[in-house]
Amino acid sequence: MEISGWDVAAVLAKAVTYAATFGAAGAVFFSLYCGPLLRDPQRCLTRRLIAIFVGLAAVASILRILLLAGSMSGDAAGMFNSTFAGMILGAGEGRAGGVRIVGLALILFTLSKNAVFRGPAILGAVAASTSFAWVGHIHALVPNTIPSLLLCLHLLCAAFWLGALPPLLIIATGGHEPQIAAAAARFGKLALRVVALLIAAGASLLLMLIGSAGQFWASGYGRMMAIKLLAVAALLSLAAWNKLALTPRLLQGDTRAMVKFRRSLLAEMSVGALILLATAAFTTLIGPP
Amino acid sequence: MAHAKLQSSSPAANARLAEAPKTLTLNFSEVAKLAMLKLVRDGKEVPVPLDKGEKAAQTFTLTLPALLPGNYTVQWAAVAADDGHVTKGSFVFSIAA
Repeated sequence: MEISGWDVAAVLAKAVTYAATFGAAGAVFFSLYCGPLLRDPQRCLTRRLIAIFVGLAAVASILRILLLAGSMSGDAAGMFNSTFAGMILGAGEGRAGGVRIVGLALILFTLSKNAVFRGPAILGAVAASTSFAWVGHIHALVPNTIPSLLLCLHLLCAAFWLGALPPLLIIATGGHEPQIAAAAARFGKLALRVVALLIAAGASLLLMLIGSAGQFWASGYGRMMAIKLLAVAALLSLAAWNKLALTPRLLQGDTRAMVKFRRSLLAEMSVGALILLATAAFTTLIGPP
Repeated sequence: MAHAKLQSSSPAANARLAEAPKTLTLNFSEVAKLAMLKLVRDGKEVPVPLDKGEKAAQTFTLTLPALLPGNYTVQWAAVAADDGHVTKGSFVFSIAA
């Protein structure tokens, strides 16, 4: 499989789109269940973070389309070729990108302190995080209603989990021990159910796309997916350590556990980034067998 | 499923032809839109008319201009109709003097 610089750039742009979209949506979800725990400076910082993620996601989404168009001709002129862009947008990326941009715009309602705007912001978070389901390999399945719903569930859970890490880090960096402990405990309780749904939806989709264990290892798609699964296993291990070892110590007021909790969050964010990069790679470069 | 791969072509990849073909046919694994096609001989592009408004299909047949003997490279890019993914590739063939 030949991979050009354009392909690498398109994969990176997709990974950034995933990360920024989940970051924005996940922070909105986080503010729903941990909002009362945030103090004003942390709330302000979280809102600023959401705005940055929204901008980054929008720019990366547009850049990715330009890079895909450029990859068709192999030169910069292709990026601005309206025929190439039209074909890419017409084949599903237009729908996905449109839903994402609208969702991201609605997320910006979070910046208002007026509770009336919370509803549109949540709707925006759901729309933006599930926008990736409007295009991609599942649309080759017939029928694809259940795969689409499973993918939406998988994406929502991913946004909930990965998108909570930056606001948790904000609390862990500037908060008091009881606040950090309470946030960790509240997130951990919800995350248990969310992660179970994430894995169940992901496993079902994998079975639908690949079909058998034999095909998994025989295909390039399966082998790339294996990298993602290894990273998910690492992330689950970190999350389990957080929940079972660190959170109880935080609740007991253990100061040393706070430092470990911050480091653990940074490690989870790094592994999360690897997962998104692997996903961007196998959804861009290779198709299921 | 998913990414449209070039399954076969006429002229075939690495074919050595005794005379110039009049058409170029590409057969893909999926229904796709042919977004780009370039025919290159000795570093120079040979214009091949491509209808970019053509509907998505698995097989595309393009009329070739009169080709001189030499080594040719076909570069193509396609967008799969079902999942919107871009695939591209190239192959060579030659026409004997």
